[in-house]
Amino acid sequence: MTTKTASLSKSRRTIQWLAVIGTFVIGLRHIMPGEASRGGSFDSFCAFGGIETLLPYLFTGQVLKSTNLLNFSVLIATLGVALVAGRAFCGWLCGLGALQDFVAEWTRKLLGKKRHIRGKPSKTILPLRLPASIDRPLRYAKYLVLAAILVASLYAAFPPLREFCPVRAVFSLKMTPLLWLSLVVFLAGSVLVERFWCKYLCPLGAALALFNKISPVRLVSSTTCNNCGRCDIECSMGIEDVPNNLTDTECIRCLECLDTCTRDGSLELKVLKIGEEQ
Amino acid sequence: MKINPRYYPAIIIAAYVIFLLLGILLGFGPERGGGHGLLLLTETCA
Repeated sequence: MTTKTASLSKSRRTIQWLAVIGTFVIGLRHIMPGEASRGGSFDSFCAFGGIETLLPYLFTGQVLKSTNLLNFSVLIATLGVALVAGRAFCGWLCGLGALQDFVAEWTRKLLGKKRHIRGKPSKTILPLRLPASIDRPLRYAKYLVLAAILVASLYAAFPPLREFCPVRAVFSLKMTPLLWLSLVVFLAGSVLVERFWCKYLCPLGAALALFNKISPVRLVSSTTCNNCGRCDIECSMGIEDVPNNLTDTECIRCLECLDTCTRDGSLELKVLKIGEEQ
Repeated sequence: MKINPRYYPAIIIAAYVIFLLLGILLGFGPERGGGHGLLLLTETCA
């Protein structure tokens, strides 16, 4: 059990670093001369850019400025992952998600947590876990952001999120005053609340959320679970009672719960057939 | 069917790459500049 979980956690961290470096390299390429030979702007490598430009493309046959057809390929890839494994893109492949995990980890270290002991709650003040009365309503904000952007995209020349997008703020290396503001809000939010952007504001996460209910690759809990709560403590998305909420729309399929579980068979990764119940 | 969690990262990455290539083969490739063979391939096929 220990060997399996340690290697899974390590793989995730490695992939997350690669995602961060990869996104940074894309940003770096686009501040160098000759952008036209690089497949389009920084925005054209964004999955959410595909959502932003989808309605204009369907209605007018034209994509928004700074996006191009490549956005649809990246979107199809992201939806493909969601179709297979729910919001696994958020937990494993998203550079911004990875950065939030790193910021939370660095914050804990700065505030005195020497090493991470799995399944034990952190004694540091930050990142906070907001009370459910505040946390739950705030989580609906990302759906409003998604809806607002879809509507705005019909009237926009550029992708509506472009001027505020934290991915551009962190990785594009072409800053504007609004992007600086976005960067400060993103970093401050990530220090204060773990996965702040994913929980409350990410419109891509909102678009992928429903796939958690239908994706065939998923975690399944069994009767051997004794509800010790270790998985609840490790969940960066703050899902309560994890074993009974494994298809929650907030779950980013990071498998930290499986990683931290000490009871063999309590949580299992399965491929469900169509119509098969857990 | 139970799967070993060890293969989970490979499943995700494989899904991403396969669907990305599918998108590019469907014609949603980079629009500008050279060096994008798959786009040229799809244009040739069309």
